[in-house]
Amino acid sequence: MKQSSRIFDLLVGLGLLGISGLGLLYFLINERFEWIPEFALELARDPQILKRPKAEKCSECHKNIFEAWKESRHSISWTSETFIEASENRSKEKCLPCHIPQSVQGEKPEPRMDLRDEGIYCVSCHFIDNKMNGPYDLLAPPHPTYRNPDYVRSGFCGSCHQKTFKEWKATKVEDTCQDCHMPRKKGRLTQKKGLNLLHKKRWVGDHRFLHGKITEKDVILETGWEEKFFSLSLKNNTIPHFVPTADNGDPRLYLYIQFFNDEEEEVDSAKEIIAPQQETALPYNKKINFRYRLFDPVSKAVVELKYQPAWSKDKQPVFSKAVTR
Amino acid sequence: MKPFRVLFIALAFAGLAVPIQAKDMVVKEPPESLSKYYPPQSKQPKWIQQMHKMSTHFGGVFVNLKEKDFENVDKHANKLVEEYKKTSEMVPEWEDYFDVKAAEEFAAAAKTHDIAKAGKASGGLGRTCGKCHAENEVSVWAKFHWPSFHKIKVTDPISEKEIEFDEYMGSISSSFKGVTVNFSEGQYGRAAKALKIFKSRFMELKSTCSKCHAMQDVKRFYVGSDADTAFAGMSRELNADKPNPGKFWKNIGLLGKTGCKHCHLVHRTNSFIQEMWEKPE
Repeated sequence: MKQSSRIFDLLVGLGLLGISGLGLLYFLINERFEWIPEFALELARDPQILKRPKAEKCSECHKNIFEAWKESRHSISWTSETFIEASENRSKEKCLPCHIPQSVQGEKPEPRMDLRDEGIYCVSCHFIDNKMNGPYDLLAPPHPTYRNPDYVRSGFCGSCHQKTFKEWKATKVEDTCQDCHMPRKKGRLTQKKGLNLLHKKRWVGDHRFLHGKITEKDVILETGWEEKFFSLSLKNNTIPHFVPTADNGDPRLYLYIQFFNDEEEEVDSAKEIIAPQQETALPYNKKINFRYRLFDPVSKAVVELKYQPAWSKDKQPVFSKAVTR
Repeated sequence: MKPFRVLFIALAFAGLAVPIQAKDMVVKEPPESLSKYYPPQSKQPKWIQQMHKMSTHFGGVFVNLKEKDFENVDKHANKLVEEYKKTSEMVPEWEDYFDVKAAEEFAAAAKTHDIAKAGKASGGLGRTCGKCHAENEVSVWAKFHWPSFHKIKVTDPISEKEIEFDEYMGSISSSFKGVTVNFSEGQYGRAAKALKIFKSRFMELKSTCSKCHAMQDVKRFYVGSDADTAFAGMSRELNADKPNPGKFWKNIGLLGKTGCKHCHLVHRTNSFIQEMWEKPE
């Protein structure tokens, strides 16, 4: 009886020791990693990561971020058919810096020569001076990691999205690019078994770089009739940059207006192309007016708005409204 | 003596800067091997950068001879030979344009620190540059420094179909005639409808310009405030009960003199050259 009680005490003691050890490790990794001597960390470094690795290498630990990025337009910035066509088989110099950036650091990057198929990938944005940079100061033994506050600021995205950044800045809206396009969720930065439990959960940005859906709540339509004219206005009510927006791409809103007489016959039509490259995109919180001369008697207008992203030939409906006189 | 020396230096520079003149110019497509010195195969336009390097070292010799900074004269002379040799090996098809001996003779003359000797020796070297420039400079610029118009596709705002650039220019021209012919005949309603189509197509060119031009100001040089003024003016006349032909035609002229003419003057010559190479015979 005495013997078994001793074994039990030993096991409990070992268990407590183990738990305390793990607790200490967790505390060290998450709260006091600066206590770990540099030489000990050097032993854990992965030299391959310090040589501008492919995204797949990063995915060995950061699986969730990698999978989100794979779904993003960034991951196909060099390989998408739309890009290849628009850049005349990638020969246009102006496209290269942002479609295959060497290092994004707040101003227009230089294009890179290697791993071009990776597009805008982990290394482009996070690898500076042989260290990984991000929004957190934390311990990641395979590579040195440094906190850089720029990662949660719009200026970082503005390295390439320069026009959109200027548009956003002019609105004075506080929500940053990351707030809308990289909404954060609590989660672990690494999914490597075992290691993941040693790292506390943090706010992690969505690396799909979301592109919101434009709805009738975003673009407000107002209409009016005069004897010989039909007028309408569109207002970008919610999106704190121009809609659509692009530095070099050509996204568009197509506005169609059909005019009908009392017999429901179409007597005339009009069309507007609302596009950043034509300087007709809708600024934030400002009404843009259109006016049409009516040459025939008209009793009804149907106003339809459709959105075509830069990377697609398909148009998505935003709204369709009938307006009677 | 001094004015003659200055004149000599000027002539030496001119020897490099001005290509050998020829009344009949053959614009031959550059060799494929040159492509690796231009994007996308190269990160930078390395060929033109190489030209600048040689030109800088050549100029550096004379600038420093004038300043009697002989240490830098020697440095530039040596670098010129080094870069000249390097350039001569870059495009195998153009190897014969280079005369490394002439470059070495020029460097040797420069290193005597006698400006007259350097000037005299520069002639042989300058001629090698001039010959290649005369025969190839236009085609290199046309092929590598100008994106191709014939590869541009434009979405016609009316049909919403993507069409070739040349075809699109044809459709702009037709819709323009729809406006002018109808207006001339007093068919103001038809002219107004045609104007909507023409304006839409003309304004689409802003998107077309942006396929190459990243700066708004450059685009506005072709399709800018003059075009806005012209279209607003034409539209105003066509919406008036009695359109004023004088004002209408004045705006047509404004559009032609700014938008059409600006673009055609800048781009058409080059486009013709590219067309010769790119269109099937």
